[in-house]
Amino acid sequence: MARFSPFDIQARPNRLLGQVLSAVLFVVCLGLYMHASKVRHAENPEDRIVPNAQQLRSGVHASVLEPAEEDDYIAPEGASKWTRFQHSMIWKDTASSGRRFGISLLLFLPAILLALHIGLYPYFNAGFMRFVLFFDKIVALSLLPILFIAFGIDELSKIALIFIGVAPTLILDVIQMVKAVPQEQVVKSFTLGANDFDVTYRVVLRQIAPQIINSLRLNLKPIMLFLFAGEMIAASDGLAYRIAIMRRHMGMDVILPYVLWVALLLFLVDLSLRLLNKRMHPWFQS
Amino acid sequence: MYAGWNPYFYMQKSGILKKWADKYGIVIKVQRFDYAASLDSFVAKNIDACTMTNMEALDMPAASGVDTTSIIVGDYSNGNDAVLTRNGLGLDKLGGHKVMLVQKTVSEYLLERAMVLNGQQTKLPTLKLLNTSDSDIAPAFLNNSSNEAVVTWKPLVSQILTDKGVHSIFDSSKIPGEILDLLVVQTSVLNRPDGSGERFAKAITGAWYETMQKMTGGGPAQAEALKGSAAASSDTVDSYREQLKTTALFSTPKAAVEFTTSVSLKQKMELVRQFCFTHGLLGKGTKSVDDVSILYPDGSVQGKKDRVRLRFDAQYMQAAMQGKL
Repeated sequence: MARFSPFDIQARPNRLLGQVLSAVLFVVCLGLYMHASKVRHAENPEDRIVPNAQQLRSGVHASVLEPAEEDDYIAPEGASKWTRFQHSMIWKDTASSGRRFGISLLLFLPAILLALHIGLYPYFNAGFMRFVLFFDKIVALSLLPILFIAFGIDELSKIALIFIGVAPTLILDVIQMVKAVPQEQVVKSFTLGANDFDVTYRVVLRQIAPQIINSLRLNLKPIMLFLFAGEMIAASDGLAYRIAIMRRHMGMDVILPYVLWVALLLFLVDLSLRLLNKRMHPWFQS
Repeated sequence: MYAGWNPYFYMQKSGILKKWADKYGIVIKVQRFDYAASLDSFVAKNIDACTMTNMEALDMPAASGVDTTSIIVGDYSNGNDAVLTRNGLGLDKLGGHKVMLVQKTVSEYLLERAMVLNGQQTKLPTLKLLNTSDSDIAPAFLNNSSNEAVVTWKPLVSQILTDKGVHSIFDSSKIPGEILDLLVVQTSVLNRPDGSGERFAKAITGAWYETMQKMTGGGPAQAEALKGSAAASSDTVDSYREQLKTTALFSTPKAAVEFTTSVSLKQKMELVRQFCFTHGLLGKGTKSVDDVSILYPDGSVQGKKDRVRLRFDAQYMQAAMQGKL
């Protein structure tokens, strides 16, 4: 085995050591959790703040196989796990949060195109740049009462919150990418006979597309934060709605599985965007 | 913050609490918390005593296995919580409509009691409940006339009622004594072997009733107490007086003891505990309502005898009544 030398830039841990090292922090966290849970349960066997394995198991069972409290679906006798899952609390909440998430992702497409134009066309730049710069500094959460008035308290206000919170940052980021495309390329394209449309969509957009996807990946977390804020403030379903309701009586046995599930979903979205990027733009090196 | 709890703030500011704490040789610190955060800290045992409603005392600490004792029954909501609707929508027509409220709190309890008392319990499942944070519920309801019903508490109720199209169709004065404001203490603290827990209970009870005397006694002392209490929630004195009108304060220890030792408390708690159980507020793992039992001053237990989690203790209020503090 190689010598253990963490402060040597040129030393590489071998495969096994690398795997072990990357697992260390996970194990430490798990250990701390289990210890805390054990201590609290020794003092109070019904402790709900740091649920033990058995409590977590029943929490997972309740969220994955039992319907949400507000639904009166009763699984038919002998229903398969899959049918029960499709009527479960977590499925229902994931579907409604997912819809909000998806709609707001779609709404970012026009925002990205707008950014492309602001970056390239001086007239667009004059019209939008300052406003976007200003709007980017607005803390969207503090506008909530206005959003409620303008968009009601249903789906629209939650999606608007995500959009207002994330779009300006994304737009500014894309503008930066557009500006980073060498001016010579644009001039060259024109001399080769390209028109405005060609330059915008076939030269610039195609070049920065992989960077745009990366920017979206970085913004997944803010999107999720705004989605959660909206769902916690007014909703009747959704992942954050459930967490807010469960908090009311310390249902950490359900909240913890939910948190891990959200983390997994985010990871999967991020992974698929990364793979998509690799597949679509194999030439791109970040 | 809530009308029935504001006096604790005044009690500390005015030095009444310090006087009593000194008498018993202890130090008491009153800290103003966000309500949800205060409940969390109490359950996590980071604080020794906390003000909360009877329902939360049952579904938060008691249901989490934290043995809890109520030493002061301060008041009950006598109209502070209300069901409000637009355009004369009645309880019989509420089915299928959207209702904004903070779910799983006394608001939902009040709504359910309203429906049951008006013979509409069959329509309960058809209500579309929209969980709305109390910080946004008033503007969110007012600014959109498509919202038809809301359940909330004062001062939000008064704020919403300034809209002439909105009327109260049910309030907590129709279910007197079911929504109680308590001062609860960790039973383990109360029973500390060095007696400091008991001294704490005595000191705070003494201070509370001295404050109550001021609050209801009239004259400049009352004006000062009201002003100090209103300041706790940055309210004006007028608005605070208005809230007190719909709060049935047990201003003397005698009244509080009578209520705490009465049979009617048990009947009311029975309704509350059944509500908590059917709504899963006692926890997913709690299979029977009797698993979170309540002990009353006369020694009777609601639920299983070996699973007492919430205790109503009248002895400190009794001592105050007899002037023994």
